[in-house]
Amino acid sequence: MKTIVQALNVAMTYRVGKIDVPALRGVNLEIQEGEFVSIMGQSGSGKSTLLHILGGLLKPTSGNVVIDGEDLASVTDAQRTDIRRRKIGIVFQRFNLFPTLTAEGNIKLAEYIRHSGSVRDHAEEEKRRRHILKLLKLEDRLHHKPIELSGGEQQRVALARAIINHPAILLADEPTGNLDSENSQIVLDMLTRLNTELGQTVIMITHNAEAAEVGQRLIRMKDGKVLDSRVLRHNFETTEEIVSARK
Amino acid sequence: MDSLVVANVKQRPTRTAVSIIGVALGVVLVMMFAGLVNGMQNDRKTRESSVGADLMFYRDFSLTTTSLTLPTQYVPKLQEVPGVGLVSPVGQYLKETKTGIGFEILEGIDFPTYSQMSGIHIQQGQPLTEDLDVIVDEVYARQKKVTVGSTVDIFSRKFRIAGIFSPPSGSRIKIKLSSLQQILSSPDRCTMIYLKCAKGESTATVAARINQALPDNKLMPLEDLKQLYEKGIPAFNTFLKVVIGLAVIVSLLVILLAMYTTIMERTREIGILKSMGASKGFIVRVIEQEALLICISGVLLGYAAAFMLKIGIMRFTSLQVELEPRWMLYAALIGIGSGLLGALYPAVRAANQDAVKALSYE
Ligand SMILES: Nc1ncnc2c1ncn2[C@@H]1O[C@H](COP(=O)(O)OP(=O)(O)OP(=O)(O)O)[C@@H](O)[C@H]1O
Ligand SMILES: [Mg+2]
Repeated sequence: MKTIVQALNVAMTYRVGKIDVPALRGVNLEIQEGEFVSIMGQSGSGKSTLLHILGGLLKPTSGNVVIDGEDLASVTDAQRTDIRRRKIGIVFQRFNLFPTLTAEGNIKLAEYIRHSGSVRDHAEEEKRRRHILKLLKLEDRLHHKPIELSGGEQQRVALARAIINHPAILLADEPTGNLDSENSQIVLDMLTRLNTELGQTVIMITHNAEAAEVGQRLIRMKDGKVLDSRVLRHNFETTEEIVSARK
Repeated sequence: MDSLVVANVKQRPTRTAVSIIGVALGVVLVMMFAGLVNGMQNDRKTRESSVGADLMFYRDFSLTTTSLTLPTQYVPKLQEVPGVGLVSPVGQYLKETKTGIGFEILEGIDFPTYSQMSGIHIQQGQPLTEDLDVIVDEVYARQKKVTVGSTVDIFSRKFRIAGIFSPPSGSRIKIKLSSLQQILSSPDRCTMIYLKCAKGESTATVAARINQALPDNKLMPLEDLKQLYEKGIPAFNTFLKVVIGLAVIVSLLVILLAMYTTIMERTREIGILKSMGASKGFIVRVIEQEALLICISGVLLGYAAAFMLKIGIMRFTSLQVELEPRWMLYAALIGIGSGLLGALYPAVRAANQDAVKALSYE
C-alpha cells in the first residue's frame, strides 16, 4: 500500500489582530491510498483547518504535509495551487457550485482548470465524465442550473466536479451538513461508491456519527490534536456489502 | 472558461449594458471628433485646391479666422509683376450656420476673374450681377434644398440665389466681393488674392519676383496650403488629444467600477475557483476576458452609433464627417485598451484573495 497523505507535527495558529488563536497543535496523520477516513471532533477542534491545510488552501504555521509525494508546506503559494489543481478535489457543506453554470458547465470548468496549459485528451475525458455521471446518477441532470437541482443533486454535482480529474485525494468538509437524512444517505452511498469502485481516497469531516460509519477508519480530533484513530471495518469487497452492513 | 465568462456577463444585464454604453461613448467621442475635423479639413482642402490658383497672396490669414485685411490695390500691382497671369481677389468670412452647429465660409468674389481661374461655370441661372445676388454650388443646393430664385439670409439680409455653380470650388456660397466689403464696412479690402502664373513661368520664380516687388506681405504656393491642411489645425489636434484622454478615462472608470463590483459580488465564486486549483493567472484571465467581451461589444456599439450620427449630421447640418479606418482602429484600441487596463486592478485583487476567506464569504 502507498501512503498518500502524511502530516507531521502540523501546527496552525491564526492571528486575529494581536491575538494568536491556535487551531492545530501538532497533528500527525498518515492515510493510505484508497482509504476512506472519517474525521470527527467538537466544533472548533480544528477539523476544517486541517482539511484546508491538506487541500493546500492554507499554509501551516509549522510541520510538514506530503500529498502523493509532494510537500505542501515547503513550496510557494503558486506551487501549492498547482498541486491542488493536479491532486486534490474538495467538496464543502455548502455545495459551492457556480450558479450561472449548468451541472455540466460546472464539471467541464473543473476539467478546463485541471488541463489548463496541458494537452487534453477529450475522448478520455468524455469517457471518464460519462462513467462518473452514471455512477452519481446525474445523467439526466446535466443541463440544469444549481437552482433547479435539489440539495442532494447539487452535492452530487459538486462530488462529480471534485473527482472528475482523478485527484489523489478527495476532501469533504461536512458534505451532508446541509442535507436531509434521505439525501445525506444518497450522498454517503455515492462517496462509498467512489471509494470502492474508483478506488478514490476520501477524507470526510462529519458531525454525524452514523455518517462517520461509512469510512473505514475514524479519526477523532480534540483541541487541535488527533485524539485517536480507530479502524471501523476491514474487508468489505463491494459497495452492496457496505451499504447493507450499515442498515 | 468561455462559458463561465459569458455566463458572468449575462448574469447582470443592466450593469453589462451600462458598461457597454460607457465604452461605446468613448468610442463615439473619439470617432466623431476626429471625423468632424477630418471631414472639415479634407473638404476645405479639396475645395481650396480647386480654386485653380498657383499662389495665394495675403497679409494675415489662418485656417480658422478670416476677415478683410488686404487692400485690393495690390491687384493692379500684382498684375504688373512679370510672369503673373490671372489675378483674382477674394474676401472670406466665417459665418455660423442657421442651426448654430458648425459654420460655413462665405466668399466675396470677382466673378469674371474667379470663374476664369477656377473654371467654375453657372449650371443653372445666372452669374453674380446684383448686390444681393448669391451663387451656391450643387452640394449646397441639394443639402439646403434651394434652387435659383430661393432667398438665403446672410447678415440678416435677404439674398437671392442667382445661380448654381459647378464644380465645387472654394466656399460653397459666394457673393460679390463688393457686397461683402460693404456689409463688413471694409471698402477696397479682401482676404487674399489668388494668382495664376503665366504660361511657362515657374511658380517659384514668380513668387520670388513678387516677394521682391511687394515685401511685407505673405505668399503661399497652393501646394503648401494643401500640406497645411494635411497637417491639421494645431488647436484641433490639441483638442483631439483631450477628447482621447476623456475617452480613455471614461472606459477605464466604467470597466474598473463594473469589474470591481463584480468581483466583490462574486468573492465566493473566486474562492471556489481557487479551491479547484485555478491559479492567479487564470483568475486574472477570467476577469480580463469578461472586460474584453464588454469592451468589444462597446466598440461595436460605438461604431454603429458613430455611423448613425454621421448620417444625421451630414443630413441636418453643413458639416462634413469622415470616419477614417485609421481613427476607427484608434477608437477600438482606446476602448479595449483602457477597458482592459481598468479591469486589471479588480482582476489582480481577486486573484490575490485568500481562498479560505473567500469561500466563507456570505
Ligand atoms: N480564519 C480564522 N481566523 C481566526 N481563527 C480561526 C479561523 N478559522 C478558524 N479559526 C479558529 O480555529 C479553531 C479551529 O477552527 P476550525 O474551523 O478548524 O474548527 P472545526 O473543527 O472545523 O469546527 P466546526 O466543527 O465548527 O466546523 C477555532 O477556534 C476557530 O475559531
Ligand atoms: Mg469546520
